[in-house]
Amino acid sequence: MKTVATFVVNGHPHEIAVEPHQLLIEVLRDHLGLTGTKHSCGVGNCGACTVLVDGIPKLACLTVAREVRDKPILTIEGLAKDGVLHPLQQAFVDYGAIQCGYCTPGMILTAKALLDGNPDPTEHEVREALAGNICRCTGYVKIVEAVLAAAEVMRKGGN
Amino acid sequence: MFRLLRPFEYLEPGSVSEAVEMLTRHGERARIFAGGTDLVISMKKRQIVPDYLIAIGHLSELDFLEAEPDGTLRMGPLVTHARIAASPLVRQRFPMLATACNEVGTPQVRNMGTIGGNLCKAGPSQDTPPVLVSLEAKLHLVGPRGTRTVPMDQFCTGPFCTVLAQDELVVEIEIPPLPPRSAGCYKWITKITATDETLAGAGVVVVLKEDGSFEDVRIGLGSVAPMAIRARKAEALLRGTWPEAAQIAEAAQIASEEAEPRSRAAYRRHMVKVLVNEGVTEMHRQVAASMQEAAQ
Amino acid sequence: MTEPIVHTDQFTGRSAGGDSAGFSVVGTRIRQPDGPAKATGEAKFAGDISLPGMLIGKILRSPYAHAVVKSIDTSRAEALPGVMAILTPDNVAEWDTFDRGMKDMPLVAGGYRVPPEEAVVNKVARHFGDAIAAVAAVDEHTAEEAIELLDVEYEILPFVLDAEEAMQPGAPQVSELAPGNVGKHLFYPYPEGDVDKALAEADLVVSGVFSTHKQDHCTQETAACVAYVDASGRLNVWSQCQLAHLGRRELAHIFRIPVSRIKLMTPFVGGSFGQRGSVCAEPIAVALALRSKRPVRLVFSREDNFLGLESRTGFKSIDIKLGFASDGTLTAIKTSMIGSLGGYMGCGPMSSVIGMTLSMGHYRCPNRFGEAQMVMTNTPVSGAMRGFGNDAMMFCIEQLMDDAARRLGIDPIEIRLKNAKQPGETASMGLELESTYIEDCMRAGAEAFGWYEKRAQPKKDEGPIKRGYGMATMSHCTGAAPLYLEHSNAMVKFNEDGSVDLTVHPAPVGTHIWGALSQICAEELGIRAEDVNIVTGDTDVTLFEYGSDASRSTYAIGGATLRAAHKAKEQMLAHAAEMLEVPAEQLMVRDRVISVEGRPDKTVTVGEVCYDAIYAFGGHATNFAGKQSFEPVWNSPTYGAYFAEVEVNTETGRVRVPRFVTAIDCGKAINPMAVEGQLEGGLQQGLGYALTENFIVNPKTGVVETDNYDSYKVPGTLDMPDSTVIIVDKPDPKGPFGAKGVGEPGMVGIPPCIANAIYDAIGVRLQDLPMTPERVLEALELAGRESA
Repeated sequence: MKTVATFVVNGHPHEIAVEPHQLLIEVLRDHLGLTGTKHSCGVGNCGACTVLVDGIPKLACLTVAREVRDKPILTIEGLAKDGVLHPLQQAFVDYGAIQCGYCTPGMILTAKALLDGNPDPTEHEVREALAGNICRCTGYVKIVEAVLAAAEVMRKGGN
Repeated sequence: MFRLLRPFEYLEPGSVSEAVEMLTRHGERARIFAGGTDLVISMKKRQIVPDYLIAIGHLSELDFLEAEPDGTLRMGPLVTHARIAASPLVRQRFPMLATACNEVGTPQVRNMGTIGGNLCKAGPSQDTPPVLVSLEAKLHLVGPRGTRTVPMDQFCTGPFCTVLAQDELVVEIEIPPLPPRSAGCYKWITKITATDETLAGAGVVVVLKEDGSFEDVRIGLGSVAPMAIRARKAEALLRGTWPEAAQIAEAAQIASEEAEPRSRAAYRRHMVKVLVNEGVTEMHRQVAASMQEAAQ
Repeated sequence: MTEPIVHTDQFTGRSAGGDSAGFSVVGTRIRQPDGPAKATGEAKFAGDISLPGMLIGKILRSPYAHAVVKSIDTSRAEALPGVMAILTPDNVAEWDTFDRGMKDMPLVAGGYRVPPEEAVVNKVARHFGDAIAAVAAVDEHTAEEAIELLDVEYEILPFVLDAEEAMQPGAPQVSELAPGNVGKHLFYPYPEGDVDKALAEADLVVSGVFSTHKQDHCTQETAACVAYVDASGRLNVWSQCQLAHLGRRELAHIFRIPVSRIKLMTPFVGGSFGQRGSVCAEPIAVALALRSKRPVRLVFSREDNFLGLESRTGFKSIDIKLGFASDGTLTAIKTSMIGSLGGYMGCGPMSSVIGMTLSMGHYRCPNRFGEAQMVMTNTPVSGAMRGFGNDAMMFCIEQLMDDAARRLGIDPIEIRLKNAKQPGETASMGLELESTYIEDCMRAGAEAFGWYEKRAQPKKDEGPIKRGYGMATMSHCTGAAPLYLEHSNAMVKFNEDGSVDLTVHPAPVGTHIWGALSQICAEELGIRAEDVNIVTGDTDVTLFEYGSDASRSTYAIGGATLRAAHKAKEQMLAHAAEMLEVPAEQLMVRDRVISVEGRPDKTVTVGEVCYDAIYAFGGHATNFAGKQSFEPVWNSPTYGAYFAEVEVNTETGRVRVPRFVTAIDCGKAINPMAVEGQLEGGLQQGLGYALTENFIVNPKTGVVETDNYDSYKVPGTLDMPDSTVIIVDKPDPKGPFGAKGVGEPGMVGIPPCIANAIYDAIGVRLQDLPMTPERVLEALELAGRESA
């Protein structure tokens, strides 16, 4: 039976009637049209569906939607402000860290959570934080470079 | 094959007793829902198809991580693996538990999955059971018939099987303090990639007497038997003896024979030998060094 | 070392030296035009597309390795509200059978064809996971429920999983069209000399029997398709097919619709690596749309991908012999391969031909013979994956090369140099070798890696860890001329502001091809890359394009682009010449300004010229545009040298790769950042192929045990080495601005490089992929027993 719940996505509250068995990824993609969060493996191994719930990277394809009502959720669509890319998005573009682009939303959000908590990570710390995000195109080299470059921009106050 | 879940009702008890009451009422048709990672995957695969999910994730009475003055660690079932791995308390007093929790799944899965949910799933390739077994942890369960305490090494009875009754809930994981002159570690090898499932894991605790001989050795083996087990024969060989490489190697060999792996058996047994040898040797060295330091 | 070739070709209008100093745009690390859309989530992939009234498709797959679908009771599914179409094997007969690899119609030279055997959904399931029914429903929940409500009666048949067993008399037959289960018996297309005689006379013969496995592409986006019939009755399809015009042709054939009544559009595609060179989700999606008369979106689950799509063709056995003279000259190569096709033929058979062609033609060798038996088995289908068989063959050849070097006492680099082809010789694909800098690759790679120092130093005692250093080389085709249809087209149209629209149809699968094509176009026209707008992704708009595969896009589509741009430029300069009243030959274009050397008064912008031409009264108005059909009649192979450091743990059998160097000769790098990206990405797939990935079919039940990422492991961030890419960057005479292909080479040299490093570490040769820990330990044990 559907009940109305409030989903706070990218700073905006949305009242949505959801069935108990609907996953967060369905609410985001099908109800809200936010298709940046991607389906890929469905079993928690690839990170393509990563969103930030209360700033913490979680998997939208394994999250029962009702469970995260009223909690602030950040998807890739909520990162750029007034048409200006977030330093991570800009760095991914500048450093060639995007090939097919399918892992990119999950990668960027996971990296954002890392940098928000650890503004000056080592390369190893970046790799550990992204260990649950699979990329089949880039071999991760430019992704790691982009995250470290964005970290430097963010430390210097660029936002 | 399926990306979505079959319909169910989502119940939100306001307390543990209400959760127990719901479990009793709905029986086999209900499942406790904490972090949900394991459960949702099983539901997608249609291995488990509950009519009711009893969501306990918001019950703060089940979400705690604290130490008693005597060093006993008490954790609620809702504590996530990420929180345990990062906890200064756990890293200082039970670093092997922090290590094991840091190995569960991927960072995102660790942010979502709870220690209670993981233990109740009782998958045969998990990281925390061999550690909790060697730490002689106890699980406190609550049900309509009251509360009971089950030692960790009796909690799992086989792959995906525990002694938890249908209408019971784990409410606490209690870890007794380690005795003086002790150290513990978690040694493991994954199936192939860094974030892969564990192929073989050993939680090793070494306790030395004042004279440097083995007071106690506890070896918890994971992923190499239907559930996490203690390698009791190997432990018995070492207890009371002087630490010597040949003796430790023999104990590691015996531990590998105590394992009962179902698949890739020869390789898993071989790895038990390697991991136990490494674990016992390193922990002995660590305790001996700290004893020497204390003496100075 | 060979001197750099100075590239003066009538189509470039300027000389291209060995570095980027002469270029404005080519050779620069530009950002990709699609980057911001992908970084913000705005980029639409097929699964992101929603249309009014759209239904969701789902597939039912066989739980048996070989079974007849005797009947499907659809009544329970039909009774479910919201189920709008159900396809069963008994109701798809109005549509034609097909070969998913699209080789049921001419594409390969010499009349090679694959018989069309697959139906939209199949009456006889030929492997675990074969598609036997499909539904379209109002939403995904209903579609999933409908699948579960289909009641299927199966007649289970005996199955065969192993290629060699399948060839035995009495084995279960997979296909009526493959007697003895041999789907294709193919031969190396350029045999030469008398290989048996040469082997008999050789001073040294090194040989071995190797095997390689079925690697899954693991594209992060699964197969997906959106199809609908518009109000005028035209079929519109959002398809991931990397050969879009051929995909349209195939759908026309299957559904008996004229090509003119099909509009095929390409959204962003989340990776392909060769898998989308076949039709994937399209047949079932289109069938559901036609049957339901509603738009349908079909998105594969990850399990659908593992079970229902082609993955790399595995070779059960590669029996290979190399003959050498005592001075290290390679005199003979003889190969006999047995490959596993799976339940349908698809692109699998050609992997043997291409594999043999590229590998056996890599070195100079006067006596060559190869044959392959491609065998059908009751397993998921094998097809084309990055490398297309060259990887499997080089795994063998480069190990045998190392073996010969060791036995003859010749340095591994020197023996390869000795047998390296020179420009002017016949290249592997049978055409003239236009350029090769294999020596540069080996020397530069060796230096960056510290090859000689590392190999010379005595091995330290690191306990159970044994350290080793290995290298390998390879060459891979740039496009598949002359074996495949290499027809590309480009159109360049000037806008009134001097910008251009470049109409091309490469596959937007993440290879940075749009950027490369805009650089080639801009360099030719004297404008900036950002002034080039890529118009693509719609078969109504783009001219015929064979598509993206065989590492051809930069070379062939870029070649068409360069020539089309040249034509447009000539028109534009002719008009500028009129405006400036100077002969056109005196005009130069740079940074969007047309000028005459020594005449500062004679200058006009490209934009001004275009505007003037478009808005001209008096019957002279014109819009400059150039179109070029292009079929490269050359094939400039890309060369590479690979160096690996490995740590073999002799207790655990685990192989760790801390360091890797790739040195590539892909001609002039149009965008070095993009070239690095291909090689760094190829390294991940190559390491997976060599060490971590393993597609497992249960030998007793035929069930696929690795159907998702929890059981099939691709390398993640913590599994990768520290890697360096060296781009030799010397131009090829035929490629656009000197470029050659680079899509596949990043993968091909990895497995033999790792295997050679393992040999250096522990003295045993692993001849089977993947090189699992158990295989390492087994090999060590065997070696220990042999030496005892």
